[in-house]
Amino acid sequence: MRRRSKTRQDGWGVWLLFALPAIAVYAVFMAFPVINSMRLSFFSGSGYSLNNFVGFDNYVRLFADAEVSKRFWCAFKNNWIFFGITMLVQNSFGLLFALILTGKPLRGRAFYRTVIFIPVTLSVLVTGYIWKLILNPQWGALNILLEKMGLGSLALPWLGDPRSALAVVTLVSAWQWVGMPTMMFMAGLERIPEELFESAQIDGAGIWRSFARIKLPLLMPIVGIVTVLTFVGNFNAFDVVYAMEGANGPPDYSTDLMGTPWASRTWGSARPSPP
Amino acid sequence: MKKFPALKAIAACLALAVVAALGASAQANVKLTMGSWRADDVAQMNQLLAAFSKKYPNIEIKFDPTNPPDYNAALHLQLQSGIGPDLMYARSYDTGIQLFKEGYFLDVTDLPGLKKVYSDLARAPWADAAGRSFAVPFCAVSHGVYYNQDIFKKLGIKVPETWEDFLAVCKKIQAAGISPLANGLADQWDINEVVLMNVMPNFVGGAAGRIAYENGKAAFNDAKIVAAFQAMKDIAPFCPKGFEALTYNDENALFVNQKAAMYFDGSWTMASFKDLQFNWSVFAPPPPKGSKGFVTFHPDTGIAINPKSANVEACKTFLKWLYSDEAASIVSNTIPTGFFPIASNAAPIKDAHANAFLQMSKSHPTDVRFAWPKIMSGNPSGYNLMQDGAIAVMTGKMTPKDAADALAAGLAKWYVPGK
Repeated sequence: MRRRSKTRQDGWGVWLLFALPAIAVYAVFMAFPVINSMRLSFFSGSGYSLNNFVGFDNYVRLFADAEVSKRFWCAFKNNWIFFGITMLVQNSFGLLFALILTGKPLRGRAFYRTVIFIPVTLSVLVTGYIWKLILNPQWGALNILLEKMGLGSLALPWLGDPRSALAVVTLVSAWQWVGMPTMMFMAGLERIPEELFESAQIDGAGIWRSFARIKLPLLMPIVGIVTVLTFVGNFNAFDVVYAMEGANGPPDYSTDLMGTPWASRTWGSARPSPP
Repeated sequence: MKKFPALKAIAACLALAVVAALGASAQANVKLTMGSWRADDVAQMNQLLAAFSKKYPNIEIKFDPTNPPDYNAALHLQLQSGIGPDLMYARSYDTGIQLFKEGYFLDVTDLPGLKKVYSDLARAPWADAAGRSFAVPFCAVSHGVYYNQDIFKKLGIKVPETWEDFLAVCKKIQAAGISPLANGLADQWDINEVVLMNVMPNFVGGAAGRIAYENGKAAFNDAKIVAAFQAMKDIAPFCPKGFEALTYNDENALFVNQKAAMYFDGSWTMASFKDLQFNWSVFAPPPPKGSKGFVTFHPDTGIAINPKSANVEACKTFLKWLYSDEAASIVSNTIPTGFFPIASNAAPIKDAHANAFLQMSKSHPTDVRFAWPKIMSGNPSGYNLMQDGAIAVMTGKMTPKDAADALAAGLAKWYVPGK
């Protein structure tokens, strides 16, 4: 006992020693790039020869130049729509799946859990490309299905219409990532003590009551974490748009997110393509 | 005492041998890399480079292409960080000139024989305003309209001579339940480069017409430009169902599977049409009634030397060989199908379809792609303005007049005519 408390006392140095590798990795790969990017934002040019200090000029252009700010605010707005649909669809379904999977004993529970989680493990480029094929207006499975069902008028060029493109891309992203909130909600639900349900049952609470009065309030911390993670993920998103539409956020910039205008700038928007 | 001279002699011989060996191995070890955006052409280029290494066994060149859309950015990054290839494909006009200005391309103006093999006109796309060449011209691409001869025959259609005929032909094909055109919008670049730039010279009057805009003698929103955008509007109803979401690969597949009868595209695509089950050919984009027809024959690829290369001399040796008389037939036979040599001593090409394509640019006056020479690299780029305009017109978001006005207004922000 005495020994343990002693190590705890002079433990500061030891703690630091253990934390050092993590701090070093974080500093080199996270903190430094972020701070350096901020520094670079005050220069013009390519970033290799830093002799063009322009102060806040880049920011002035971003917000004051009509063309540039139009693109920026369009991307900003789209990103909120992206976030809104993701919250609504991905996280609601995540909660629903979690409730079903942790609810009454379910046959093949492990199987469903795996199926829901598998898309998370796939590369966005792969899932994006597959969905692009499914949504293809000429030979995509979705439109063929719609036509077979006599709903040919609904067979739209989903990814080519500015009205539908962003929603479709968001839904694909939600489909892919729904496993994440499902897992987190499941973990949260499984930690709720069984006695609460038992006593609620004795008091005559039904499924809806025990969800609204017990599960949801106790899940609130998880809901908060999921919201934060979704927000961070959505405002960093770029890959799903790149895989399904391209870096310019076509059609008509309707799928531009905060990440895409920077990418198309970096890679040269005036890019003559192959050959 | 006597021993020393002998020893000396032996030592001298040894030293010589070592030096010679080192020298020889250094000679044999000149390994160059060539950067390129043509990832599809590895086999043909390796054949060409092997022919060169046969002549110059001491130089070996590795063809190292990058994914096409990433080439410009990747190359720029490599050159900036000093790891650029020794030889590299150079884009024509502004994109190339920028790199030359930044000192990443060697001045090759004085390579012996260059001016003899390439006329001023042929060198111009890879030369700066002062006429200094930064790359040796390698090949050009052409543009036209591919068509399915079987479908044309079945429907009793003749190759259209005028734009009005062309639209009538489209209507007829559509009535037969086949998509007249294969082109779509999803990849964006192609509607601009292989459709709008393809028909542009017909509507603005070829090179002379283009230069009038560049010199400020004509306004970028005049009636001719409006007519060019109108042409894009004209073809929209004849594009496949859902063309807004069809990619470049989809277009190719539609033509190959005979679901579309015609396909605006560049000559480079014919390499993918080798084993088609039907007869196909190509015609020049038809001009509006009463106008002269032009073909967009675009100087596409030059080869430049990295001045930081450790083996600049070997690079020069390769380029001199490339346009020599003895290499001419090798170049013509290994050059990827659909690319055409620019050198004046070029040997004839054997492929029949490629020849049909080449014939088009011989029987018509030609011009380069409209946006390339002057209006490309500013902000906003004329290239992007034309692309956005074409797409907006085809999706009904803009009228042709609006698109032309947007082009003129965008260019007015930075472009100084006659510069």
